[in-house]
Amino acid sequence: MSRLTTLRQLVAHFVGRRKLFFVPLLLVLVLAGGLLLLTGGLSYVAPFVYTLF
Amino acid sequence: MAAVLGISAHYHDAAAALVVDGRIVAAQQEERLSRVKNDPSLPRQAIDACLALGGLRGPDLDRVVFYENPYRKLERILVGALGAFPRGARFFRRALRDQLGDKLWVLDELAAHCGVPRARVDFVAHHASHAASALDTAPFGEAVALTIDGVGEAESTAIWRPGPGGPEALTALEHPHSLGLFYAAITAFLGFRVNEGEYKVMGLAAFGEPRFREALDRMVTLHDDGAFTLRPDAFGDHLRLDRAYGDAMVRALGPPRDPHRPWDLEATADRHYADVAASAQDLLEDAVLGLARAAHRRSGARHLVLAGGVALNCRANARVLAEGPFGRVYVHPAAGDAGGALGAALLGARQLGDTPDPGSFTPALGVRVDPGHTAAVAAHLGLRGERVADPAADAAARLAEGAIVAWVQGRAEWGPRALGQRSLLTRADDESLRDVLNRRIKGREPFRPFAPAVRTAHAAALFEGAPNDMTPTMTTVCRVAGEGLAGATHVDGTARVQTVEPGGALDPLLEALERDHGLRAVLHTSLNAAGEPLVARGTDALDFFVRRKPDVLYVEDLRITR
Repeated sequence: MSRLTTLRQLVAHFVGRRKLFFVPLLLVLVLAGGLLLLTGGLSYVAPFVYTLF
Repeated sequence: MAAVLGISAHYHDAAAALVVDGRIVAAQQEERLSRVKNDPSLPRQAIDACLALGGLRGPDLDRVVFYENPYRKLERILVGALGAFPRGARFFRRALRDQLGDKLWVLDELAAHCGVPRARVDFVAHHASHAASALDTAPFGEAVALTIDGVGEAESTAIWRPGPGGPEALTALEHPHSLGLFYAAITAFLGFRVNEGEYKVMGLAAFGEPRFREALDRMVTLHDDGAFTLRPDAFGDHLRLDRAYGDAMVRALGPPRDPHRPWDLEATADRHYADVAASAQDLLEDAVLGLARAAHRRSGARHLVLAGGVALNCRANARVLAEGPFGRVYVHPAAGDAGGALGAALLGARQLGDTPDPGSFTPALGVRVDPGHTAAVAAHLGLRGERVADPAADAAARLAEGAIVAWVQGRAEWGPRALGQRSLLTRADDESLRDVLNRRIKGREPFRPFAPAVRTAHAAALFEGAPNDMTPTMTTVCRVAGEGLAGATHVDGTARVQTVEPGGALDPLLEALERDHGLRAVLHTSLNAAGEPLVARGTDALDFFVRRKPDVLYVEDLRITR
């Protein structure tokens, strides 16, 4: 659950700074965060991140 | 009434610091325990050491405070990368990997390691952490803080006044205009490692003439109001992962130095690079002095405190005190990013209603040594270990004979300088011993200077401008005025003197040296070899003793010989 707190703070930061052009990127970050939560480790997520970027 | 743990991590110089009820209880750099120089990883060993020194467990902590805003830092990196797209594509991928892999989740990792709810983990701004580390440990009030480093979240330089809730920013300059990055570029150009070799540039500068100053002035413009701007094509931006300097610098100064070639300052080629170092140092000093004057104009404060990595430039600090408008100048001894951990803890304590107690600050905040355990390990290694009744008098006698003494006493130092707790010592009046120490024991470049340590009472007779608020922690240089310091005097006639107060770690030894042998100073350097972290524990000291072969090692009252 603590990682959800981090994701919430991250979104709040970018919204608060009105960096709305980051929204697509943030969606990807949230997706990656969700995968981290579900898988419990970065090693499963890394291939998705590299594919996307 | 709160227990607050401050953390710096994930860039370089990871550290932890513990403040309980406003009192500074412990501070420890991770590299000293992990034995990885400038270790940037989450400081798990340092956290555990601080908690043990404070007699606490993780769940006892009321707050854990990270030293910078990870979201704002991520924003700066992403905005910079996207702004340069597609040129920064490689950097963008690496930044995302780093951020998603570790840095974004640092607050969660801290909560998990400390065993505290995530709600108790917070962050403060990078330069505010630096400012608090200096304002809340300074030996005087009525001060303005000047923080200068490479870059925090976005700021590279800031001026702060003290406020009830912590430092309040008066003005700031943002990346990429950064004196830290300027000096890092010169460090890389001269073939030294960035974030490690800046001291070497400062030492090398004394051997050169600033004949490239005009060329550097075309790369860094110093403005009348204290601000400065860096010309982009002279510096490697953050999108270049391979070097810190730009093409314009190479065109103006010639090819960068081959880092693998040994130094020979008698040769024309290396005289050229010494002149580059002298020019960069000259510019940096003028820039810091300009910022100090700006801080005075904006605040009207009588005194100045400094933090941030650039504040470790002793020669610049000396000029600020000598030529600047302030009566007193103090530099936090861990002015680099490690010191941000203590600043973060102090800011967290304020947020929870405590008032930091500057009187509780001492640089001896790290782990203790255990002479009993060290003696057992020494015996296992076949070394001679004896308890001596008066280690200070015993070591003084060895020093008088010309020995090189490794000296380990009490809790480890906070910050990059050995201050008498983990030191290598020899006679200050013998230049040949300095060379033995540089080449055989330390294994470092021949131009690196050593420092003398003297009792505060003798400082004024031996050095111009000493003692002052920086000399106890070796964050300034003074011109040598007395005799018997040939081995500890740099080529420019200055020394990075440490003045030792009564009760200081070196005081008994200096007293014995003077009483029994008529010597008022000792040559003093950190207990480590080139590229290694400073020794922390007794076993680390034994490791150094076996590998680097000083003549004798003292761990508290335990004398180790072969």
